[in-house]
Amino acid sequence: MRAQLTQRMLLSLVLGLLFLSTAATGSCSGKYQGLLEQLRSQADYMQDTSRLLDPYIHIQGLDTSGLKEHCKERPGVFPSEDALWRLSRWDFLQILNATLGQVLHRLTTFQQDLPQLKDLGMVMLYIRGFQSNIHCMCQLLGSSSEAAKPTQASPAPPLPTLASDAFQRKLEGCRFLSGYHHFMHSVAQVLREWGKSPRRIRRHSPRQALQKGAHGTHLFSRGRRLAPSGQLPW
Amino acid sequence: MAVFAVFQTTFLLALLSWRTYQSEALSEPLPLTPESLKVSINSTQQCLHLQWSVHSLAYHQELKMVFQIEISRFNTSNVIWVENYSTTVKWKQVLHWNWESELPLECATHFVRIRSMVDNARIPEPRSWSSWSSWEEVDERNSLGHGALFVFPKDKLVEEGSSVTICSISRSYQNNVSCLLEGVQMRGEQLDPNVSAFHLNNVPFIRETGTNIFCTTGRGDGTGTVLFVSKVLEEPRDFSCETPDFKTLHCTWDPGSDTGLPKRQPSQSYTLFESFSGKKILCEHKNWCNWQVAQDSQEMYNFTLTTENYLRKRGVNILFNLTHRVRPMTPFNVVFKNISDTNATMTWQVHSIGNYSTLFCQIELHGEGKVIQQHNVSIKVNGNYLLSELEPDTQYMAQVRCGDANHFWKWSEWIGKNFSTLEAAPSEAPDVWRNVKSEPGYQTVTLFWKPLSKSHANEKILFYNVVIENLDEPSKLQLHSIPAPANGTKLTLDQCSYQIHVTANNSVGTSPASVIVVSGDTGNKVEEERVNVTEDGFSMSWKPQPGDVTGYVVEWCDHPRDLPCDLQWEKLGPNTTSTVISSDAFIPGVRYNFRIYGISTKRIAYLLEQKTGYSQELAPSDNPQVVMSNLTSHSFTLSWKDYSTESQPGFIRGYHVYLKSKEGECHPGFEKAILPDDSVSCKYKIYNPEQKTFVVENLQPESFYEFFVTPYTSVGEGPLDAFTKVTTPDEHSHLLIRIILPTVFCVLLIMIICYLNSQWMKEKCYPDIPDPYKSSVLSLIKSKENPRLTIMSVKDCIPDAIEVINKPEGSKIQFLGSRNSLTDTEITQPAYLYLLPTEKNSSGPGPCICFENFTYNQAASNSGCCGHVPVPPEAPSQLGLLTSPENLLKVLENNYMNSLGEIPAGETTLNYVSQLVLPLSRDKDSLQTDPPVPALCSEYKMQMAIPLGLASPPPNEKSSVSSVTLLDQGEPHH
Repeated sequence: MRAQLTQRMLLSLVLGLLFLSTAATGSCSGKYQGLLEQLRSQADYMQDTSRLLDPYIHIQGLDTSGLKEHCKERPGVFPSEDALWRLSRWDFLQILNATLGQVLHRLTTFQQDLPQLKDLGMVMLYIRGFQSNIHCMCQLLGSSSEAAKPTQASPAPPLPTLASDAFQRKLEGCRFLSGYHHFMHSVAQVLREWGKSPRRIRRHSPRQALQKGAHGTHLFSRGRRLAPSGQLPW
Repeated sequence: MAVFAVFQTTFLLALLSWRTYQSEALSEPLPLTPESLKVSINSTQQCLHLQWSVHSLAYHQELKMVFQIEISRFNTSNVIWVENYSTTVKWKQVLHWNWESELPLECATHFVRIRSMVDNARIPEPRSWSSWSSWEEVDERNSLGHGALFVFPKDKLVEEGSSVTICSISRSYQNNVSCLLEGVQMRGEQLDPNVSAFHLNNVPFIRETGTNIFCTTGRGDGTGTVLFVSKVLEEPRDFSCETPDFKTLHCTWDPGSDTGLPKRQPSQSYTLFESFSGKKILCEHKNWCNWQVAQDSQEMYNFTLTTENYLRKRGVNILFNLTHRVRPMTPFNVVFKNISDTNATMTWQVHSIGNYSTLFCQIELHGEGKVIQQHNVSIKVNGNYLLSELEPDTQYMAQVRCGDANHFWKWSEWIGKNFSTLEAAPSEAPDVWRNVKSEPGYQTVTLFWKPLSKSHANEKILFYNVVIENLDEPSKLQLHSIPAPANGTKLTLDQCSYQIHVTANNSVGTSPASVIVVSGDTGNKVEEERVNVTEDGFSMSWKPQPGDVTGYVVEWCDHPRDLPCDLQWEKLGPNTTSTVISSDAFIPGVRYNFRIYGISTKRIAYLLEQKTGYSQELAPSDNPQVVMSNLTSHSFTLSWKDYSTESQPGFIRGYHVYLKSKEGECHPGFEKAILPDDSVSCKYKIYNPEQKTFVVENLQPESFYEFFVTPYTSVGEGPLDAFTKVTTPDEHSHLLIRIILPTVFCVLLIMIICYLNSQWMKEKCYPDIPDPYKSSVLSLIKSKENPRLTIMSVKDCIPDAIEVINKPEGSKIQFLGSRNSLTDTEITQPAYLYLLPTEKNSSGPGPCICFENFTYNQAASNSGCCGHVPVPPEAPSQLGLLTSPENLLKVLENNYMNSLGEIPAGETTLNYVSQLVLPLSRDKDSLQTDPPVPALCSEYKMQMAIPLGLASPPPNEKSSVSSVTLLDQGEPHH
């Protein structure tokens, strides 16, 4: 247990340094694989529910029977994985960047309401670093032919307004964080596919291939939900 | 003017008529019905807000009225609240009244009506109520929206420990609503088919983010609410104010728990209000606040500290005189001046608290972490104090604090500083003692001294000077400088008397000298005594010495088993004759020896007493090596003379001799004892530690015993070791030894004598056989019978016949080699048995001629052996039977009977049987199984005659003849 904790801390430190180095230097690496590897690692890190969702559930007292079940991702808030598979790389990065921007905005409100959420500041820092890497990847892809392809992606929808009563706000926050982690899980999956065929443009996931034509090109599906309490479907 | 008069009259009439009307109106119940009743809901406060007016009031009329308000829930007939509200009503005044509902107002329809009554003392009772207003209905449920389930109140803020009612509204009649408080089911009350209420008493504080209440219907719909529970606002404790300078008041208090809830309720606020000045300030900090003292010489202050949050307000009050609440500021500028080896002057300054104020200051002097001096001094502005009785070369810390001398309230903070005193020469002579060993021609004096205490050394001791003064020759002086930290030195002196001066020296100077005198006298020897031991240590006393004694010294070794033994001493005054010696080095089980010396006026030490003892005696650690001796059938002796009692961990008081026997019974003097291993043994106690032998007596012969010897002290006996086993010998064995040994000795003696006289014995018992050539018989034969007869060589002789001499009763004669027997043959003449050689004997020497030897007697022949008699090879087993006369007879008889048929009968009297050398033994009982040396007939050495009795068997067929045995040289058997 202690060894796991130490490993986690070490990983956090390394990733933090990676984020910070990229964000601080402001200069982009010209190596595609290196940049992709960083994006993938950072996405893996941010899909970890122990960073935000689990502490949030504990602080808000939602880790009781009856409430856990209601802490599920609200459909349509984040782009679905299927939609992400359908995007071009450049569009994917644009959508990812925009979504993370909204996430940052929402996390800022959390920061005011929940000072007990200690890792929140660090996570926000990581997201900014991740956005910098997205920017660099966009620059890298901008020089290729893929960057010129037309996009079918729609921009990320605005986040819903906050509920009036505290109970609903608690649940909404929980659902939002759940969706955020799930979204980052999907992002990590897509980035992992990029690594397998760096020059191949993959438009469809195996699963989505079966559903082709049924859902069009909507980014935000309504069918998928995330398991409660940070248990992501693997 | 007339117009004015008319107008005035008219006005007065009108006024009169109005007054009359008014009087009539007051004397009767007025119909002042509340009108324009409006009811609204404040969800946050959970209040019904009523507002109404009384239109019937006259202009500027003020009337005290009572309004009765009725509130019903769900329907008008369900009145849940009735309250009378008294107030003074003015013309056109809109009246307000609030009612806080326990049940969230969103959960039920409420109906309100009101009526009034004039409350005027001038109106006699009974007064009457006005008519009720119409019911005003308030129902929030219509504005809830389209949800299936609602829970109220929303985000209610309550104090910990309060009671709250939660209600739920379901849109469906069939929904079974259940609510959980932090996951725990709550018991509800059905108020309406759609409304349930849940009463919570004494709600706890769980977390700052609120207590979650979650309700679900049977269809899976769910919603909830958060109950924000804050800590109870506490009254500030220990509220007090003080001034350091009459300019500001510093007020402090203990705020207690923080009642703040993020985003819901800020932490409680604190305000300070002074009633005399009427000033009020909002305190920025939660536990202290500064108040600016007015310049108008206000002495009395009445402060009220108020704290409040959204739910509660509390306050505490203090009243004080400003001059009684002075706490001076911390003194400053502490300086030490005129520091010497034992004194220092401390100076400091204080902040002024007024022109005529006097401060009371306290000074503490710390040394080695402890307060060693404390002084009080009154000052105005500048303070100073002389610190004295300090130790040289010592670091101190002095600190000072001050308070108002006129009306002491509190001390200021301490301020302190370190300083060190100057160095000085050692102030005391070192404590010196000596150990003197006298050798022939010289004496070895070992000096010991104890290091000076820090207070006496005054600085680091650098070296010790030892001056040796020869008292016999005062001009002879020696100086030895011993560098510190040595604590002694060894001197070799002659037998003269010496006075030794020892001083300790530091960088500043020399200590007083410690003087000791040693003389060549070895001193007297005294007897050692045992010392008493108490809880405090070794308690010893000695007889006061007559004459002038300057003091006494008790000397001992802390580690008597080591070398050096760490010599210790204690010097005592001349009037002291007892002391208690204690040391952390004393350990149980170690014998300590103490020597008590008296110091004469000439500073010579002489031994007075010697004492020995243990700080704590222990049981013996080992047992003696016991040697057993003098073992007899009835006793043995045990001894352990090598056992040293001095090295034992206690005074040996005696010994226990344990004895075990098979019988288990104890001998006289022994008693039964149970050993540590629970075995039973007999124990004998030896009470004299010097007795190291013991005779165990009254033992049984040929019996097994076990013994074990162990010493004992006052604590107990030694460890249980293995018993030594011993078996007593046979009772007669020693007797036998007494007999056998002399007998053997005698036999040996005789044998030696016999050996020495063997020649004599030989001559006496076995004379040489006469030489036949020299015999006189030879000449006789030659002359009478055969002139050719010569002496025959023995080797040429082959025995072939035995002369048998027949007896009158007759006997059977058996011839060798024949199975025929001759019976009833009368033989009266001597007959010869002819011994014929067998086939095996054909290679042997020739037959011998038998003859009569008249020089040989029959007695001698009886002692010989018939071994030369030939025995048939088919009967070798008969040899063994020849060892007895009867067997011999039998064999002879058989052989004789076998050979009788071949040999002619002769005389039955046998004179000579055989001639044969017996090469090995003369013993007739011994039989030689080895084949004899074939030297038969080589020399005529032995002759044997068979006695007549033997040759005359009983008169039966088988043994009727004399026994004759033939010699068989091929198979020689003896």
